[in-house]
Amino acid sequence: MDYLDMGIAEIHSALVKKEVTPLELARLALQKAKENKENAFEYICEAEALEFAATLVEPEENNLLWGIPYACKDNFSTKGIPTTASSNILEGYVPLFDATVVKKLAEKKAVLIGKTTLDELAMGGTGTTGHKGTTFNPYDPDHKHLIGGSSCGSAVAVAAGIVPFAIGSDTGDSVRKPASYGGLVGMKATWGRISRYGLFCFAPSLDHVAYFTRSVEDSATLLNALAGRDEMDSTSSFQPMDNYASGLGNELKGKRIAIINGILDTIRNKKLISAFQKSVDQLILAGACIDYVDFPTELLHAIYPTYIVISCAEATSSNANLDGIKFGPYRGGATYQEVMSNARTKGFSELIKRRFVIGSFALMSENREELFERAQKARARIVQVTNQILADHDAIYLPASPSTAPVVGGSSDKLSDERLIADNYLQIGNFAGLPSITLPLTMLDGYPIGVNLTGKAFDEKNLFGIAKSVERITGLEGLDVNVRKEALL
Amino acid sequence: MNFEAIIGLEIHVQMKTKSKMFSASPNSFSRMPNTEVTGFDMSFPGTMPRPNKQAIINAIRIANALHMTIDPLVRFDRKNYFYPDLPKGFQITQEFHPIGRNGYLDILDKDGATKRIHIERIHLEEDTCKQIHFSDYTLLDYNRAGIPLVEIVSQPEIHSGTEAMHYVEAIRNIAVYSLTSDGKMEEGSLRVDVNVSLRPYGSTIFGTKVEIKNINSLKHIEQAIDYEIQRQRACLLSGGRVAQDTRRFDESSGRTVSMRVKIPAVDYKCFPEPNIVPIRLSKEFIQEAIDSCPELYEAKKTRYIEAGLPSIDADIILSNLDMSLYFDEALKKCKSAKTLGNFMIVEVNAYLNRKGIGIKDYPLDPIALAEIANYQEEGYTHKQCVEILSYCLENACTPPADAKRALHIEMHDSDENAVLELVTQVLNDNPQSVADFKSGKDRAIGFLIGQVMKKAKGKFNPAVVAKIMNTEIQKR
Repeated sequence: MDYLDMGIAEIHSALVKKEVTPLELARLALQKAKENKENAFEYICEAEALEFAATLVEPEENNLLWGIPYACKDNFSTKGIPTTASSNILEGYVPLFDATVVKKLAEKKAVLIGKTTLDELAMGGTGTTGHKGTTFNPYDPDHKHLIGGSSCGSAVAVAAGIVPFAIGSDTGDSVRKPASYGGLVGMKATWGRISRYGLFCFAPSLDHVAYFTRSVEDSATLLNALAGRDEMDSTSSFQPMDNYASGLGNELKGKRIAIINGILDTIRNKKLISAFQKSVDQLILAGACIDYVDFPTELLHAIYPTYIVISCAEATSSNANLDGIKFGPYRGGATYQEVMSNARTKGFSELIKRRFVIGSFALMSENREELFERAQKARARIVQVTNQILADHDAIYLPASPSTAPVVGGSSDKLSDERLIADNYLQIGNFAGLPSITLPLTMLDGYPIGVNLTGKAFDEKNLFGIAKSVERITGLEGLDVNVRKEALL
Repeated sequence: MNFEAIIGLEIHVQMKTKSKMFSASPNSFSRMPNTEVTGFDMSFPGTMPRPNKQAIINAIRIANALHMTIDPLVRFDRKNYFYPDLPKGFQITQEFHPIGRNGYLDILDKDGATKRIHIERIHLEEDTCKQIHFSDYTLLDYNRAGIPLVEIVSQPEIHSGTEAMHYVEAIRNIAVYSLTSDGKMEEGSLRVDVNVSLRPYGSTIFGTKVEIKNINSLKHIEQAIDYEIQRQRACLLSGGRVAQDTRRFDESSGRTVSMRVKIPAVDYKCFPEPNIVPIRLSKEFIQEAIDSCPELYEAKKTRYIEAGLPSIDADIILSNLDMSLYFDEALKKCKSAKTLGNFMIVEVNAYLNRKGIGIKDYPLDPIALAEIANYQEEGYTHKQCVEILSYCLENACTPPADAKRALHIEMHDSDENAVLELVTQVLNDNPQSVADFKSGKDRAIGFLIGQVMKKAKGKFNPAVVAKIMNTEIQKR
């Protein structure tokens, strides 16, 4: 346990009191990053971080992020710092510009100490498909458990106490799922709330900037720093910002929370169900009104196929810029077709190619109506039902995953309802672009597992308030591998 | 057998907006390759499109000029294909929801009758980058990547090369006069793709479509299409089949030449662009775009003719946007459009040609030219006014009034009674010349007019003198 296992406010207080300096924090974070055994980093920005941290001398009392080290998923553009998205096709690519979130954090004087691993091009949920191999769960020193993906490295960086927060991206559940497996708070705000400029597009209609922290309070602090309209992202919202930390003291009394039967019922892990029920009982005791609501079963079954069709279709197009001509390794060829084919054949793993083929297939004129347009219709219906539920409720509350961290090389019944529904329902938050936060619920057999709250569009302040109440119930604020805690449930 | 030619045109108009369609990169047609490029234009990962407001305004103006239904919800789509000139691997266009639909344009057919050509759609999109091919490598210039384009697609209702030429000319006039584009076909800022097919008269089935690409002048459009119609007719009459291919126009031979056999249509796998949320245009925004549209060619022409400019002169002045803008400025202060037009077409053009410059570099301002034209209206001779104009140009744009003073130019007396008095006197004094004239020696009248001018010390208007002399000599 050291400074980097603490919350942002605590570290800030130590910085302001000059108990520790940004340079010392950066050195400590860099050292922990280098010692990390879980394959969390693509690139450790040692020289850059030390140089920047050395310039931070006079503490800024009103700036909670001043001098705080952080890590960023390697699919965000960072000027002068190699960025590969964990894919060979971008080996050696050094971007010319900073992503808006990276720029905002630099302006806040947060110190970027490393770029973290991901599933190749953020396409995947296991943290096993990046070009540097599998990223492991820090709760298992034997490396038999996964942290999940695609934001695997950023999850590890926070769960292992290397940094107090890390930036990720969430297209299906790529932050909120590993948050569950890593005992973290994983937040994605409303689509358009945080600029995506500089985030490598995977499926833009579903892509969100998201991030990991170890407390709801830190999560709100981060949103205050990251949210806002950005001219560089024309999809970013003009909606005025809130002070997202201002609702953290709100009472639960009068809050209406929905639990979707059709999702909860597919979960088979009795310990998880029991822990979840205890948290629900506590929420009721705290004054919340809980409703068990229905969701058409055929729509719940449609979530995963809808996600695959839309995300793969957008991905095959969004990654068509990776042709070996402008950046990334050039692998030669006698014709332009050969140049592109060589670059892409060698640059992408088989899994990525499969996704591109699926996406292309769904968009072909003969399949378009049956696949792509049908997926769009399914998405619209799922969004409609979700928004109907949220019209009467402040949030939807459910376990964030049906199990704790999966085992390396483990297999599951891919067509079981648990796998199809409980393991994929977080994608609803991407379909509808809703704010959605995962936070730890309990520890099961030594591994953390989370719950998720999904709220109304642009209602993040309220959502943080409810999440803070859940956090009070679980008592798992500040959890990481160095600060092991047991839930109060 | 008699065939009917079915011709449809797709016109790409490159816009001269300050920045590109989806990026802040300058769009100033720099000659230096790869100097007008941002990360988005090269599709660096993480860059995002930012729609250009002026490009949308321009498209609204063109749609309005073409009497189209304007979609107030601007949406973009991705058209996916791999090609080296396509940095993103897709083009952002408006496949599903073009900004304008169902319009028309009235043109003159080859007999000079008005004909209405319906226009299917116009939409916004971005240009690709430019490939420069060498024997064993190709260079890419990204300056062109992302330049705003508006594509105008006609219905296949054109039946001859002449009609096609008139159609393109009218579209170009709209593009140029709305200040959307410089419309230079020879430089590729207005690109025309023509589809030509033939079918027997009376048939409702379309024949095989041949595409002619990259025709670089209006005249060549007419020539290329007329040649292509002849070629296809000859082919069909000799029992052959027209191959579906893409052709280009060879200027030296006046023929179309096959570039490549058309491969089956590419499946572009279009879908809505997720990085641009649909833009809702308010009624006010659309109206403002239309109301603030600069005066278009046809409106200007009508106005010029109403002001007294002969139609043919109006065409000459309007053949050059800058010329017409100069004319407009001068016309505000000028008493006669016809006289002003004459100065523009003859004297000003002669000067520009001699100096090898454009009207923008013409030293004299339009107000000064208007003043000089007004002198002619007041009674000075054209010759005198030309002298004033020359003096102004040669003397650092001296104000015309000062030039007139410096040249001691005085107005001719056009009092017809005074002229008649002197004419009578001269006729009386020179009976021999009168007799010569009567016997057929036309030159004699020149001598008589000269005598009058001499006696008047040059103060009479020679035109008036000539007129009266002619009348009077007939009476003798």
